[in-house]
Amino acid sequence: MALDTTGATETLLSVRGLGVAAGDKPILTDISFDLAPCSILSVIGESGSGKTVLARALASWLSAPLRVTGGEIRFRGRDLVADPGHARSLAGREIAYVGGNPAGALDPTMTVGAQLVEKLRAVRPDIPAAEARAKAIRLLEAVHIPSAARRFHEYPFQYSGGMMQRAMIVDALISDPALLIADNITQPLDVTVAAQILKLMRELNHDFSTAILFICSSLPVACDASDEVMVLHEGRVVERQTPAALVARPGHSYTRELIAELPTLWQGGETGAGREIDRNRRAIMSVRGLAKAYEVRARGQAGVSRVQAVRNVDFDVFPGDNFGVVGESGCGKSSLMRLLTGLERPDAGSVFFEGENVAAASPKRLRALRRKFQLVLQDPYGCLPPQSPIGAILEEPLKIHRIGSAAERRDRARAVMAEVGLSDSLYRALPTGLSAGQRQRLNVARAMILEPRLLIMDETLSALDQTEQGKLLDLFDKLQAQHGFTYIFISHDLTMVRQVCSRIAVMYLGETVEVAPNERLFFDPGHPYSRALLSAAPTLEERRYRPEDCLLEGEPPSPIDLPPGCAFASRCPQAFDRCRAENPALRARGDHALAACFLNPDPDIALHETATETPHA
Amino acid sequence: MTSTDMPLAMAGPEAGRRISTRIWQTAFASVEFRIGLAVFVLLLLAALLYPELSGIDPTKMNIRAKLTPPLFMGEGWDWAHPLGTDQLGRDMLSRALVGLRYSLLIGVSTTVLMLLAGAMIGLFAGYFGGRTDTVLMRLTDAQLSVPMIILAITILGVSRPTIPSIILVLGLAGWPVYARVMRSTVMAERKKEYVRGAMVLGATDLRIMFTLLLPLVLPPMAFVAVLDIARMMIFESVLGFLGLGVQPPTPTFGNVIADGRKYLMNAWWIATMPGVFLVLTLTSINLMGAALERARNAIYGGA
Repeated sequence: MALDTTGATETLLSVRGLGVAAGDKPILTDISFDLAPCSILSVIGESGSGKTVLARALASWLSAPLRVTGGEIRFRGRDLVADPGHARSLAGREIAYVGGNPAGALDPTMTVGAQLVEKLRAVRPDIPAAEARAKAIRLLEAVHIPSAARRFHEYPFQYSGGMMQRAMIVDALISDPALLIADNITQPLDVTVAAQILKLMRELNHDFSTAILFICSSLPVACDASDEVMVLHEGRVVERQTPAALVARPGHSYTRELIAELPTLWQGGETGAGREIDRNRRAIMSVRGLAKAYEVRARGQAGVSRVQAVRNVDFDVFPGDNFGVVGESGCGKSSLMRLLTGLERPDAGSVFFEGENVAAASPKRLRALRRKFQLVLQDPYGCLPPQSPIGAILEEPLKIHRIGSAAERRDRARAVMAEVGLSDSLYRALPTGLSAGQRQRLNVARAMILEPRLLIMDETLSALDQTEQGKLLDLFDKLQAQHGFTYIFISHDLTMVRQVCSRIAVMYLGETVEVAPNERLFFDPGHPYSRALLSAAPTLEERRYRPEDCLLEGEPPSPIDLPPGCAFASRCPQAFDRCRAENPALRARGDHALAACFLNPDPDIALHETATETPHA
Repeated sequence: MTSTDMPLAMAGPEAGRRISTRIWQTAFASVEFRIGLAVFVLLLLAALLYPELSGIDPTKMNIRAKLTPPLFMGEGWDWAHPLGTDQLGRDMLSRALVGLRYSLLIGVSTTVLMLLAGAMIGLFAGYFGGRTDTVLMRLTDAQLSVPMIILAITILGVSRPTIPSIILVLGLAGWPVYARVMRSTVMAERKKEYVRGAMVLGATDLRIMFTLLLPLVLPPMAFVAVLDIARMMIFESVLGFLGLGVQPPTPTFGNVIADGRKYLMNAWWIATMPGVFLVLTLTSINLMGAALERARNAIYGGA
């Protein structure tokens, strides 16, 4: 037990030649790096490059079949691989771990505060309960949880996703660790909330002098968050540089590729703005005043409350358009998708598809209409029947609509498989072995086998990594050229929307706050929320909008008790009295751009109602 | 990504065959399945053919040879009666095999009946929910609240205890459990994305229920039902014991055991032999069922 104290003062964590294998298959090979106290190191790499395995190896949290095959992890000079007992005593105390699934990590049956106190007293039994509680509340305040003392006694389900993630950070920090391992913590969060969490990490690093190992899959986020970036590729460290140097002079071909593929928001490159669409023709789908509320039982009290999931949604989609719907989670994108496809009936408003109201069609007529518009769902794993072979999955829609004989259906299925790039040998295989990208190809194939006119993509690409996204977007382009599809992309990813969509609607709390052509939205947004979204988007470019100017600290109001007036007023730096009293409607800004904000000049022809007062400019 | 592509490449030559073929082949490749199948086929053939081929009438009495012990057990055993004879000198082997016929018939058809009834009721209740669910589930509760023995005594006491009526009584008593299980699985499954996907494709409710959900949730239930075959065979014995089972002189496991009870002290084999056959049959069925279930999980799990 000779303590190797040389150099321990300089590096907190020093990893040398670390190897981890799953059975015989190596996951990590020869990982070596040092981490100085109080610094932030980002680790990036595509999915499957071993990032999470590295994080877990450092937190001594590898479970079979994963095992360390060699090397050493020195924490303050002591090797954790050789001394698992010591490693276990450090885990949770000196080395803290925050994962990407806060909802799964918190115990739903205990209040958040009780969990924090329990955690602290488990690793430091000598701290009295009152002191532990005071510390938890102090930390909850430090991570900007509003009215922390009250929130301390609330259950996880009363927290939003962003707040749960903050609570998890508190859970990790409460034992004053020297090292915090943050594994993909911003992945499930919305861009605006993720940006706040990143800012928080920086503050914490500064205030508590905790070293942070920040693991993520997005290069812009990694560069934003850290002092240094380490690139992991196929289980090896290929590069380590400061963010600026990495972007300017990437040393490894993989990094270069990663940077080159990175879609941009403002610097040109491929955008969906170029296409010529005749917008004076009849719209293929036009949505008017759509609204849907769900009744939920109020917690702890009698009666029900109404959640306004979708309200005042208006837009037109023209044939050949790539229409985008963007917004953060909980803004009603998925409810909108269900209304557009007739899976649910709206409370008010109408959805016209080629002149026919989907919202009021009979079930039988709706089934017939569904041949013409199809939906590709978000989750590549959940949306395929788990036990049907691929061929049968593709033939199912044809069977449903009684098209062709068995032989014709088989030929059709094989043809579509070839078109989306699935090998013919997969015809009888189960989807089990397919990667997420292949599954989404299969989903697209299933939707297009009926030769629809309109394809609605509900977050179709959000589960895929960047490379795979690019390939699928190319495929969509090719299919559009061949079959003349019109796409509606429902997404939270601004860069993707920038790349492919010709017209974009921005949703906030169930409302369309802006509908504008691509260029116009990104260079001249007409709504403060659009600006806030743009300011928070992860990108390596120089930002046109600074987050500090565009967004106030906080989270969207609850859709249960919507404030009167503009829903964004509580987070809008430019809000004034009228915004809090009256809800602005969508108004034309010329050239097919519409926005719902009083700050825009009153146009001559308003879309719905002409405002009688002069707007404040 | 590369890791998820790998099993696919390995599955290459396998992928050409149909899924159901692959499951049966994988199951058949396992030793347990083959043993189970061999024992089961042997028992089935013996039950079907032995009484006729050997010409031994299971109801023919021979008082002189009464209470002959099985081979090599005790004094006075005889090659003519390998499993001994009962108190009236009837051959135990042929009695047990004929009993197996009836017991198997009752066990299997009862289980199929209650599985079907339960699955259908559960499927409709779980899929449509709301009022349909309330009505069907209250019906299930009502059925559950009537003890099976009372039901059996009432029905079989009023009508004659024939084999179809016994099957009906046992089936009627067993379905609520299946309905409950089915309902909750269907409720969980129907909220999933792929069901919504099928709706968007334009599939009707019946189509989703029968071609999408049923094939998915029925096999695990059928696996549990295999265990119920045993339970039902024993219940038939219980009915036989009460005198409400298949009537003598037709031998079933139930009335053979009931007869043998009185002679447990001096002729243990009478009551034991049906039990031995019961164990053999059920073990073989379970071995096959377990191997099939394993194969199914392996194939659908991505092997």
